[in-house]
Amino acid sequence: MTDAPILEVRGLEKVYPGVRALQGVDFDVLPGEVHCLLGPNGAGKSTLIKCVSGVVEPTRGEILVGGEPLPVGAPSASLKRGVATIYQELDLVEDLTVAQSVFLGHELRRGPLLDREAMRRETIALLERLDHPTIPPNAHVRALRPAAQQVVSIARALSHDARLLIMDEPSAILDDEEVETLFGVVRRLKEAGVGVIYISHRLDEIPRIGDRVTVLSDGRTVATGLPADTPQGTLVEHMVGRKVDQLYPARSAATGDVVLSVRGVSGAPMVKETSFDVRAGEVVGIGGLVGAGRTELLRLVYGLDKPDTGEVYVGGKRLPAGRPAAAIAAGLGLAPEDRKSQGLLLDWSLTKNVSLADLGRFRKGPLIDGRGERGAALEQLRALKTVPDDGERITRELSGGNQQKVVLARWLLRECKVLLLDEPTRGVDVGAKSEIYKVIADLAREGLGVVVVSSELSELAGFCTRVLVMREGAVVAEVGGEEATELELLRHAVAPTDTQPVIAGEEI
Amino acid sequence: MSIKHIAGALTLSLALGVAACGGDDSGSSDSGDDTTKEASGSTATKSEGPVKIAFSAPGADHGWMAAITENARDEAEKLGDVELKAAEGVTDSAAQADQVETLIAGKPDALVILPNEPDALMPVAQKAMAAGIPVIDVDREFTEQGAFRALITGDNYGIGYQAGNYFADELKCSGNVVEIQGIAGIPVTEQRSQGFRDALKRKCQDGVKIVASQPADFVPDKGLSVMENILQAQKDIDAVYTHDDDMAEGVVSAIQNAGREDEMFLTGAGGSKAAMEQIKEGGLYRATFLYNPSMSASAIRMARLIVRGQGFEELTEPEVPSKITVPATTVTKDNVDDVMNLGF
Amino acid sequence: MSTTDAASGEGRSLPIPKPRGRIQLQEYALVGVVALILIGGAILEPDSFLTTDNMLNVLRQASVVGVLAIGMTFVIATGGIDLSVGSMVAAAAVAGGQLVDSGSAAFVLGALAMGIVLGGINASAIAYGRVVPFIATLAMFTMARGLALWLSDKTPVSLFSLDGVRWFGNGEVIGIPSAAIVFLAVTVFAWVLLNRTRYGRYVVATGGNREAARIAGVKVRWIVFSVYVISGICAGLAAILVSGRLASASPIIGNLYELDAIAAVVIGGSALAGGRATIVGTFLGVITFALIFNLLTLMDLAVEIQQITKGLIILAAVLVQRRER
Repeated sequence: MTDAPILEVRGLEKVYPGVRALQGVDFDVLPGEVHCLLGPNGAGKSTLIKCVSGVVEPTRGEILVGGEPLPVGAPSASLKRGVATIYQELDLVEDLTVAQSVFLGHELRRGPLLDREAMRRETIALLERLDHPTIPPNAHVRALRPAAQQVVSIARALSHDARLLIMDEPSAILDDEEVETLFGVVRRLKEAGVGVIYISHRLDEIPRIGDRVTVLSDGRTVATGLPADTPQGTLVEHMVGRKVDQLYPARSAATGDVVLSVRGVSGAPMVKETSFDVRAGEVVGIGGLVGAGRTELLRLVYGLDKPDTGEVYVGGKRLPAGRPAAAIAAGLGLAPEDRKSQGLLLDWSLTKNVSLADLGRFRKGPLIDGRGERGAALEQLRALKTVPDDGERITRELSGGNQQKVVLARWLLRECKVLLLDEPTRGVDVGAKSEIYKVIADLAREGLGVVVVSSELSELAGFCTRVLVMREGAVVAEVGGEEATELELLRHAVAPTDTQPVIAGEEI
Repeated sequence: MSIKHIAGALTLSLALGVAACGGDDSGSSDSGDDTTKEASGSTATKSEGPVKIAFSAPGADHGWMAAITENARDEAEKLGDVELKAAEGVTDSAAQADQVETLIAGKPDALVILPNEPDALMPVAQKAMAAGIPVIDVDREFTEQGAFRALITGDNYGIGYQAGNYFADELKCSGNVVEIQGIAGIPVTEQRSQGFRDALKRKCQDGVKIVASQPADFVPDKGLSVMENILQAQKDIDAVYTHDDDMAEGVVSAIQNAGREDEMFLTGAGGSKAAMEQIKEGGLYRATFLYNPSMSASAIRMARLIVRGQGFEELTEPEVPSKITVPATTVTKDNVDDVMNLGF
Repeated sequence: MSTTDAASGEGRSLPIPKPRGRIQLQEYALVGVVALILIGGAILEPDSFLTTDNMLNVLRQASVVGVLAIGMTFVIATGGIDLSVGSMVAAAAVAGGQLVDSGSAAFVLGALAMGIVLGGINASAIAYGRVVPFIATLAMFTMARGLALWLSDKTPVSLFSLDGVRWFGNGEVIGIPSAAIVFLAVTVFAWVLLNRTRYGRYVVATGGNREAARIAGVKVRWIVFSVYVISGICAGLAAILVSGRLASASPIIGNLYELDAIAAVVIGGSALAGGRATIVGTFLGVITFALIFNLLTLMDLAVEIQQITKGLIILAAVLVQRRER
């Protein structure tokens, strides 16, 4: 590692009409270093990236790449200087092949024609540098798993001779196994002297891959150059600006009867016969790698997909299979994996989103009782401390964490007995995550049964009453909350322990 | 797609009525002649055996076009020695061309065709002619001589011209006239319009004023709306010239709803029974001009004569004429009884 | 793009101003357009355009496509489309016409019944047969036309004797054409249904995000089914109105009505992709096109001008919609 930084940012400010996105950011990245960037949503991380990659012109301040000032507002110039960005929503064209994607925009040519053979060779070489020689260069991007698509994105950046790679929440779509692989790629880049800005909400990743940490909050650098092994509590304090006692609330214990009982539910090809119970007061976590069948299991229980076998009982009564409306009527609620595309109608007001599952309650004859609806919705939004708590706001405008609260508010309005939450903290910053954990714990304490599916094993280990681990469509282990550690859960998720799937729960 | 569909089907179907003209009955099976080589092209003649005629006309959306196909079939049956192979009516020119190709492959003795769009069907007609299959073109004229052996068509320009004369006489060359056209832009409409204007100009110079001229697509509901609006604009109308009897029904409704039947008279075109009945009753509907779908029956007869190597008995020429234009007959109260049976 | 949308308030933001609803702007724009046409017409055709008689005439004419457009709004709100309404009008008219000897009530019932049946066939194919709406209604477009021609034996039936039906088309109540009253009544009913009832909320939810609606417990298949039945009923109603005015049940009416209905819905501001619908917008859209047709016919302008004008207005409306995003 040489000493001259690849990137230096000094006193950066960016003002949009009505918004001061950056108010003075100082930041630098050394070659061969992985510099983690943390901050709550709205802190200015994306604006900072956009300035560095040339998409946006800063109002004031300096950006030096390799000691030279960056020409402003010209993304192609940034690329030429070796600054490449891997976005969270990968900017790949699904219909192109891997080689075509890597060289999109700067294809190799022989005379006037494309030199496909050279591009193929180059692509293979790049993938080898990233230790992924098995990705076929002529495979279509859409056929690859998200983790592999990400590698293609990185290869593309390398093909531009990137010296500085900005990675925006790369681990959000990956499970723990794939994250390890990603880290391998990042380490390779480090060895090659590439500097990496690594943005993530997952605090536990920082000591594993990072060299230094910078925390942004409210558009300012709150702390920079911290060593990667800074304790999580300190980092969170920097982000949130106050002392946070604990990321996770106290675990709740099962208090009452079985509220949900799943018996032998299966749905080919993803879910094999599975059974488990949930009691009132419990938070049951379901962990596992991507493809283990967790989301699919929830969908079968809720009735979005019709199960091949098995029955579901809510409060002792059998649920007719395959009908979400029946599940809701019985007291189930589902917060789906992708809240934007499956959970919410983004163009609607908060009120309308909150009331959708229980519109029948607000009636004045054949018409909707608008006032009643608004009042009840507001009550729930406030209970969850949603910001802003104005029911007439358009849902699209809220941050990820607050949008998730809207989804939860919907089921609170409905007064569910059992809540099925699929990745409730995905894409949510640490401060908001903590709030959501607390909400879940409170709900359990009030007598609900809650099921939480998550890819973050550490989170499940942190606050669930007990955790079920799924692998390849079956529940393979059940671990009590206190004993659960991330390592233990990962072990079950990855390696076969014994062949017998575990029935977690009692017989009815 | 849908515009073509409607335009194609409607264009044709509407009100082309041609009175069966010299419908001579002489198409008798006088198969005494030996096979003769025709002067025009290499059409071999067949003095014995069934005459195989292929027939293609656009889809029958409406009375006139349906009558075309029906008349052709009926005539073929009546003639006894004709085997008719008719393609299913389609409304798309390309589809019709495909069908004709299929028909030609069956090696008929003659092809009778009413082309949806003459330009689009000409290549396939030329193909038939080149293969020695005489083509009888019905109603819509192929512009290339080599594409057909004989043509029988109504006289759209003639309809317009006769109407113009009629109006000139009835209005004594002075007054306000409203024209309700068919589908804008197609030859049928253009000719009926032009003939009308030419006759008026010649007889009355500028005495008769066309105060409004709007298309109503040969359908009654459009005729209704268009006339309703024109009635708003024009407070003094002496006569209405419409291009089609079916469309005229809507125009009549509009006038009646406004209570202005006594102010004007109206003419149609085509020769529908409904129109003829109203003409007989008298009042608003004063006249119509025949454009009879019986021309397809005549076309079948012509095809048969050509295949047999014969001509029209009443004429001196030994061959069937290559172009027959059937004049429009003006139908008024005076002669409506005579032509009532020709109404469709 | 990172997880935060630009609009979620990066950094210290001023309070986000309440956005003017997208639909509202479109509606205001249309009111402006209507006003412009009225003023323009008064100048260009001072004697005949802005008269009570003519305005009532325009309302009466607008009623047929208007009723269809209202039904179409529901269909489009779910993200679907109905290309068959024009043909369904013809089929419904003919069906009623077959009962001409049994009186006006029979005609009305016959037309409505045919509308419901044909609409129901569309609905089944789309909601349960999972046929794409474009294809299903395209098939009905030709089938209904064929049915109309076949049932009627290609001849129109005179409805001269059915005073009741003719009243629907041509009658008046305190000076307002009864057809317009039907149109207005349908509009008001539809507005309440779409905006103030659960059903209406579910319709918009289904079009806005079908999966999210389903997860929230909306019975989306039933909703999709119902809107095509609504479209069929509207076709039956429209058939009664137009047959009443014509005093004839004709199988060749209804050409391209569906395009007029869709155009009215689109310029009214409802999103063609579904999820956003405005009854007021559709109403204004229908009136706009009716006024244009009326004015250009009064001026005796060539039909090409009418068509170009109509096309330009549709284009302009779509551009305004896009700018709003």
